[in-house]
Amino acid sequence: MFRRHVITELAAYCQDELAPPAARRVAEHLLACARCRAEYEQIKLGVALARTLPMQQAPDTIWPQLEAALTAAASPDAPAAVAPKHAHAELRPRRRFALFATWPRAAAVTFAALACAAFLGGWLYLRPPAPAWDVARVTGTPRIGAERIGERGRLAVGEWLETDAHSRAQLSVARIGQVEVEPETRVRLVTTRATEHRLELARGTLHARIYAPPRLFFVDTPSAVAADLGCAYTLEVDDAGRSLLHVTSGWVALERAPRESYVPAGAACATAPGTGPGTPYFEDASDNFLNALDAFDFKQGGDDALNTVLAEARVRDTLTLWHLLPRVDAARRARVYERLAQLTPPPAGVTRAGVLQLDDDMLARWKDDLQDKWLHESFPAARKVWRRLWQ
Amino acid sequence: MEPQVAMSDPVGDEDVVAACQRGDREAFRRLFELHKDRVYTVALYFFGGDEALAADVTQQVFLKLFTRIAQFRSEAEFATWLHRLTVNACVDERRKQRRLTQLDDADDALPFLPVSASHERRYARGEVAARVQAAVAELKPKLRVVVLLKYFEGLSYEEMARALGCSKGTVASRLNRGHKALAHRLAHLRAALLQGD
Repeated sequence: MFRRHVITELAAYCQDELAPPAARRVAEHLLACARCRAEYEQIKLGVALARTLPMQQAPDTIWPQLEAALTAAASPDAPAAVAPKHAHAELRPRRRFALFATWPRAAAVTFAALACAAFLGGWLYLRPPAPAWDVARVTGTPRIGAERIGERGRLAVGEWLETDAHSRAQLSVARIGQVEVEPETRVRLVTTRATEHRLELARGTLHARIYAPPRLFFVDTPSAVAADLGCAYTLEVDDAGRSLLHVTSGWVALERAPRESYVPAGAACATAPGTGPGTPYFEDASDNFLNALDAFDFKQGGDDALNTVLAEARVRDTLTLWHLLPRVDAARRARVYERLAQLTPPPAGVTRAGVLQLDDDMLARWKDDLQDKWLHESFPAARKVWRRLWQ
Repeated sequence: MEPQVAMSDPVGDEDVVAACQRGDREAFRRLFELHKDRVYTVALYFFGGDEALAADVTQQVFLKLFTRIAQFRSEAEFATWLHRLTVNACVDERRKQRRLTQLDDADDALPFLPVSASHERRYARGEVAARVQAAVAELKPKLRVVVLLKYFEGLSYEEMARALGCSKGTVASRLNRGHKALAHRLAHLRAALLQGD
């Protein structure tokens, strides 16, 4: 994994200059190397800063002076019509941007203004296209806006990609991954730049596989934002704006203030408009547990639902219990704490009182300790890697 | 390092260059319009917001370009030629300014010269951008040039290496250093930048 550091390639990586194999190698190295990751954060900030500088428009006064100098250079009587090598030195006007007092010069200025307008139109026509992602048709006839795409197309910022009941498509997420778009899906490219790539999923299903450092790829849904933390996942949104996230590798954060759910591989999380992210859970939990959690999160299940969740919870379901701590009132929090501590006692320095007061540092330390349980026994290699990467 | 080639020539450059070589004055104008803003922007940021100096350098670049274009043979290298003219004009003008103002030659960093860009105008463009502009002007010239060529000429590393007469590795190293220097000087703007996102 630590073949060699990638510091010299980080600016190229941030600016999307690397070919896909090199970009993937850098991304993988960044996940594993804290030193290069720190450098990456610095350079990413530098890139973001440099991108704030706007392109400036050259003043209209340059061309008339330039044209006058060219005319003088073309004149056989002009002293400046010497060897071109030194022409500019001889012809350069003494005064910068002198006003044109004579009528031929005034006419030249007028002509220049008209020409500028014409060339502005030309520039608008010839200017580089907006950033866009490659789209490949998988089946059927996906559309970008009202246009059907052939085998391949380009999805520009602001455009919608839509699939019907019989079509599927694949999107290349800049050079950091792929998104497969299932039938009956509507998705829009919101932004794509070195420091952020963002889609909006209005309805339907997408599968994302991202090879990039955390928090570079986001998907907006009607009820939460999915922030990639280096992973693969499936995200579904129904017509009512509810969504369901299944993570197959790595981690995803689902966010909608004030709630935030961290969803690891093997887990899922539902969201709903007005509520935001629900409580994440492992999909191999008991049916009773899952039904009760759904009732507690979205159907006002109350104490009955919470009692079932606590009773049915396994060690691995501490993922759910840890997330419940800040989401319940003080009385219920004490019950959640007791069950959580029964399943996995808090580490040294994490106290009952601190947890019940939602001490951020203690909650984070307990979460770090619990993550071993969440990265299941069936993923021992992944658990080792995650411990090395993030702890 | 496997940089990908970036598009740097606007559509139609080759035809326009050929017309310029035939002495077509309209073609001169077209070529000027295609490239003037990028040349001007590089010069403006190179000289820390000095609009008059940037306009002067832009004029020098195009005058040199037009008076020598008949000798130009390789249309495919036009962009490289133009960028080299721009860089050379900036460096020459900087030397001239330093002689005129008797600045200390031992210092590589050019002081920020907000000659005609008033505080009001700079802040109207956004406080962050104004601070970035000042920080870019304080970069060493060789770092400043690669940053400006990257963002306003859209050059690949290979094209920058040709324009600057150095290796791609040198370009990569200078861009790394340039970006890190910006981040170091403007670390306090991280939050503002994220809010802006």
